[in-house]
Amino acid sequence: MSRLENLRAAIIKATDLLPAQGPITAFVFDNTLRGLEDLPFHQALKRGSELFGCQPYLSIERFIEKLRNGRITEADLSAVLADDLGESADEPILGLCTRRELRFAMLKHPLKEAPAAELRWFIAEADAMRKFLPDVPPQAQEAALQDTRDWVADNGPEKVLNGKSLESLGAYKKRTGTAALTELRLKCLWELCRRMVEATSQQTQRPKFVRHRDAVKAVTLEDSDLLVNEILIRFSAAFVDQGLAEWVLPHREDGFLSAFIKIYGRPGGPPSPWTHGLVEELDRIAFHQLGALDSIALSLDALGVSEEETSEFITATLLALRGWAGLLWQNETRSDRVPIPVPKDTLIEFLAVRLVLERFALKHVSHEYLSFNDSLGDLREFCVNKLCSATATSTETTAANDTTAVTRSERDEARAFSLFQVAQFLGWPLGKLATLTAEEMRTLVTEVESFESLERRRIFHLAFERNYRQRALNAVSSQTKQRAQRVQGVKFQAVFCIDAREESFRRHLEETDSHVETFGAPGFFCLPIYYRGLGDAHFSTLCPIVLRPQHWVIEEPVYSMSDVEGRRATARRAIGSAGHSVSKGSRNMVRGAVITASLGVLASVPLVTRVLFPRLTAKIRRQAESLVKPVPVTRLRMERLDEKASSTETGFGFTLPEMANFGERILRDIGLVNGFARLVMFLGHGSVCQNNPHKSAYDCGACSGMAGMPNARALSAMLNDPRVREILATRGINIPPETHFLGGLHNTGDDTITFTDVDFLPRSHRPEFEAAKDILDEACLRNSHERCRRFYSAPLTLTPQEAHLHVEDRTEDLAQVRPEFGNSTNAMCYVGRRSRVSGLYMDRRCFMHSYDHTTDDADATILGRILGAVVFVCAGINLQYLFSYVDSPGWGSGTKLPHNITSLLGVMDGAASDLRTGLPWQGVEIHEPVRLLFVIESTPENLTKIMDRNAVVGRLIRNEWVQLTVLNPESNELMHFKQGNWVRFEPDAKELPVVERSSDWYRGQREHLGFATIKSPAAPS
Amino acid sequence: MTLLEYFTSRLGMTVVAAPAVAVLGLGGLSLVGWPPSERIISRVIQSAVILGLISALAVLGVMLGFGLTHVPVEVGDWVHIPHYHFHIKFLYDRLSVPFVILTFLLCGTVGAFAARYMHREPGFTRFHLCYAIFVLGMVVTSLAGTIETLFMGWELVGLSSALLVAFFHERAAPPRNGLRVWIVYRVSDAALLLAAIAMHHLHGHGDFDELLGANSWPDGVSHLTDWQTLVVGGLLLLAAAGKSALVPFSSWLPRAMEGPTPSSAVFYGALSVHLGAFLLLRFSPLLDASPLLRVAVVSVGLVTAVFAAIAVRVQTDIKSDLSFASLIQVALIVVEIGLGLRYLALVHILGHGCFRTLQFLRAPSLLQDYRTLENALGEKPATRPAGARDWIYRFALERGYLDAILTEYIARPVVRLFEACDRWERAYGRWLSKGGQPPSQPESNSLLED
Repeated sequence: MSRLENLRAAIIKATDLLPAQGPITAFVFDNTLRGLEDLPFHQALKRGSELFGCQPYLSIERFIEKLRNGRITEADLSAVLADDLGESADEPILGLCTRRELRFAMLKHPLKEAPAAELRWFIAEADAMRKFLPDVPPQAQEAALQDTRDWVADNGPEKVLNGKSLESLGAYKKRTGTAALTELRLKCLWELCRRMVEATSQQTQRPKFVRHRDAVKAVTLEDSDLLVNEILIRFSAAFVDQGLAEWVLPHREDGFLSAFIKIYGRPGGPPSPWTHGLVEELDRIAFHQLGALDSIALSLDALGVSEEETSEFITATLLALRGWAGLLWQNETRSDRVPIPVPKDTLIEFLAVRLVLERFALKHVSHEYLSFNDSLGDLREFCVNKLCSATATSTETTAANDTTAVTRSERDEARAFSLFQVAQFLGWPLGKLATLTAEEMRTLVTEVESFESLERRRIFHLAFERNYRQRALNAVSSQTKQRAQRVQGVKFQAVFCIDAREESFRRHLEETDSHVETFGAPGFFCLPIYYRGLGDAHFSTLCPIVLRPQHWVIEEPVYSMSDVEGRRATARRAIGSAGHSVSKGSRNMVRGAVITASLGVLASVPLVTRVLFPRLTAKIRRQAESLVKPVPVTRLRMERLDEKASSTETGFGFTLPEMANFGERILRDIGLVNGFARLVMFLGHGSVCQNNPHKSAYDCGACSGMAGMPNARALSAMLNDPRVREILATRGINIPPETHFLGGLHNTGDDTITFTDVDFLPRSHRPEFEAAKDILDEACLRNSHERCRRFYSAPLTLTPQEAHLHVEDRTEDLAQVRPEFGNSTNAMCYVGRRSRVSGLYMDRRCFMHSYDHTTDDADATILGRILGAVVFVCAGINLQYLFSYVDSPGWGSGTKLPHNITSLLGVMDGAASDLRTGLPWQGVEIHEPVRLLFVIESTPENLTKIMDRNAVVGRLIRNEWVQLTVLNPESNELMHFKQGNWVRFEPDAKELPVVERSSDWYRGQREHLGFATIKSPAAPS
Repeated sequence: MTLLEYFTSRLGMTVVAAPAVAVLGLGGLSLVGWPPSERIISRVIQSAVILGLISALAVLGVMLGFGLTHVPVEVGDWVHIPHYHFHIKFLYDRLSVPFVILTFLLCGTVGAFAARYMHREPGFTRFHLCYAIFVLGMVVTSLAGTIETLFMGWELVGLSSALLVAFFHERAAPPRNGLRVWIVYRVSDAALLLAAIAMHHLHGHGDFDELLGANSWPDGVSHLTDWQTLVVGGLLLLAAAGKSALVPFSSWLPRAMEGPTPSSAVFYGALSVHLGAFLLLRFSPLLDASPLLRVAVVSVGLVTAVFAAIAVRVQTDIKSDLSFASLIQVALIVVEIGLGLRYLALVHILGHGCFRTLQFLRAPSLLQDYRTLENALGEKPATRPAGARDWIYRFALERGYLDAILTEYIARPVVRLFEACDRWERAYGRWLSKGGQPPSQPESNSLLED
């Protein structure tokens, strides 16, 4: 391959790591580290945290907090340690303790680790050279003192000590109190620790920098990226803008590089010294007609980047502004998802521009702050030399930049202090420590230091996951003693999204009336469509991001309403353009003056009412809107006229066999192939809230951040069609004539349910429908009540009715940044028959997909196709939450309070920043970062087959991006998949607590709750 | 003192005292390490604003009822020495009363918004303390009856404004941009301070009544001579330009969008950005005395309006877009003041403040609004190919190069000068201590050092 092709390949490869977020209006949940899925989870995390500069796990402090409040127990820690160390757990270390004891002590007692200056402050503050650390228990202190007495009696100190420690020996001999003894012990111990560390002291390694900017920043603290990013952010935003700015970027159609050259390559720019010469450089590129790749190659040469490090350098450079780079890439490759896509190769041109700007910025910064005027190729080496010489010359401070250099003796002090703490926790005898050989010292120090902070955090993370896993599996194993059985005398059946939010809704529904049968399926109900509702301007994509729909569905008014709708559409257009011209006009000089000076004061009315009385204002607004909104009686265009589906007038809809296929697919997936009730509902879900750029993150993840009602509605229409039922009957699914399907929407924001096509419900079914509505309304009240326990601004004493008003308020409030918590609490995913786990309180933490193995074949074909979608989608959701929580400003988008919508595609922090991807802090606040625990009702053999069949599923499970357990369909035996082996789960807890109703369990509680059995579903109402 | 005067002056004091008590209460509690709960903080601010608003409305009622157009409320001299006094006095007239009512109305509404918006934010107390300082600063500035009183309020607004821009100090950009805002504000403050000194020096008084005569606003008459008017007016124009982001200071305005949305709304959409215009309005009788000053005010306003109208067309993020849109109107208000259309300017400020606050608060709704609009129109709203040449586009995209111009032509020479001073001082120091011993280095910095 030629060099340029290599470059292109390196860039394409680097795009795997860029955030996969497209337009924020269709929020896509995806594993933040999708590009590293080929690695096992922990390795990927380590690599990812280096590449992205983000935290891989929670901090030690956060874990210690969890240890204190019982979210991690000491049993979890020792079990995980035993697991992690395997055979070597019980190896003794110089006869002082075993490896496991050492590591356990280092986990249980947080080590104070900090730069030397902070440590000095800490030691003075805690008086740590005179008193034991507060964590050392009294008995251990007593034992340590006894050890010291013996040692002194043995004349131990004189043999080994000198200087300060000997002074304290003298002091002890004079005073002989406990205080003096403690001081003596600690000073001796410190002396010994220093000695051990010095015996193993290593030379500083020469730091290595991939990017020149990092090297310069390490020496000067000046960030050359600030200069580059300022221009690049503005220009990229203008380049991808979907219509926020009134003027379109000139020459946009010529591509990124060319437009940049035409706009920035003309004389007469700002007088910034750092861009001096940029015009000539851009001219040169234009004159020689250099392509983007040529320009990149030239820049790499100028920067002295060798062939071997090219790939790494390009990755790091693209990640420097990863949000924008990712967005450009998404717009380039998924042009179906934005109205105005960008041309091919935009990302490559972006990189070319970036490297040109970087060269100028580096030249400027290194000249200004380092007086460096040589070739940029030598810049990194120059900085490294400068750093090393600063470190070598220890305390002599000559220039301000030396604050960054850490001297070797300072580092040794910090290392000794870690050892000092561990020795106190474990009460190591001084006599033993004083007589270690150099070899032994090295062993001991290495042993302590090999369990460094990142490793400890990994173990903590595993223990945290184990804690939840044990509780969950104990609960499942206890609950699944109950036999699987379909609901008898069923009143109606309802199919919900797999979403964890529907767990509580289904539980409350079943609690309200035990004759309701519920199912779970992905919220697009396996019906991928492009959909245009009545009054919508464009089609939206209703299916997971990995699919591209092959069908188009539109909504139309019923024939007799067409005229009314026509008039309303005209009215809407008139109101819309009026509003638009006020809004645009207010940014204009003359019209703006007229509008603000004349009508401006009137804006105080909506301002005050919307902020102070959100619900009332919303009601009035809705009343007014109802005059012009699309007519309520509509139908979907279901049957296609053309042979081929397309987005043209005659290409909408499906053929009969297609309808039958879709119908069959979903019914078989959820195992609903017999025992149909007279009323079967498909309820998609979506969320309504105000003033929230991340709204679509609350919508259905399986519909790429849209609401799944059209899918539910279309599916019901298909299954109500007698001709479809005929085809299905030939395939063995007999839907009785009296069964009627209904589509609807569960609004997870204000907990309401709306139905579609109720006008076409047979008269005979109306009483049942009304009864069902009552039951659903009651479930809505109870569900909102349970949700309110998590909102700190909702008092715990609310009644269900008040709770429902409260959630309504939240969805209408302009100032509300937490209208709901979405899937924040997700931790588990159950795939199996609902009746195995019905009545189990799972605290809205479980995705639930229905699957009946008795309707599947020997190869578990159905389970395979279920998992193909479910593992991918649910792992994506879970990992997105996990990463956005673990390092919110790093992997997530930080707090949403300063977010600023840009280009109609995403948000920045404040005035200008990298495009923020991932979830905002307010949306993940109550999350517990654990990998998703799958519990699947099947056999290990079937799962192994599926993992072998489906590469994505196999990769996610085998590389441990999710946890997997199978539930025996015949018994409550659980098999856990652990590092490639199936291990039987041994329950270690008593029976579950039993309560009458869910509310008895959660009432008055704010935090995460354990599992419980809801005893008897309420008597049928 | 008649009963009526007594009554109005008590009411007038309450208007200022209410936010002052809130600041002292919240600040005091935080200072001694007992930060109050979210609920108490927002209650305190709400009560202060409501009490202030009611008192202000009552003053308005009295003024309307008794046909008063000029009600001074004396607090007294803070400092009084033979050649100087620091006089604190508040003034209720046709300019200050509408302005203070607008302040309470917007601050109350946005305060209620912020109480929910900032819920569970670690900086909740800090935000609301700064917010209370801002309310106090706005009230003091609007009601100020002497230039020294006005300066006090002006400073409080500047301080709280810069602190709120830098609110999210865990990231680097907000403090950096906050510092920029702060520097421009300092320049503007210095100009105002010089104006105050000049007034005292030239006239012996900082009192508006003395300076502009006892006629109620806007009918004051300047008692300064031509060139005195020009000096004082010029300084005031500089102060106003900094505070209201007029050219050449405009570049700080979009940079100030770092804080939480409600503070952006009330500071840069509504109140603080209009303070410069308010200052010019307060001193508008000076303009009658100097046509040259008038020309200067009108041209600064016009240049800014044209600049902002070009820049707004290329902004691709909603907050910059709104900030330039605000700037156009602020600049037009300045033009109106220059042309002597004082009532129009006042009405324009009130209308623009309310309108823009609503737009700022609803800025996060942009995507939903845009979708609704598209659906109503049935298509994407039209955008225009840049109706201008490439260089105008770039000029607009880079915000008139004002950042670079200020940095290169103002900041850098000043810094250079100070660096040179530093070098001279060092050289002088070396010369003085020639032959002396350099101070010794500390020998050890071991952990064991007590």
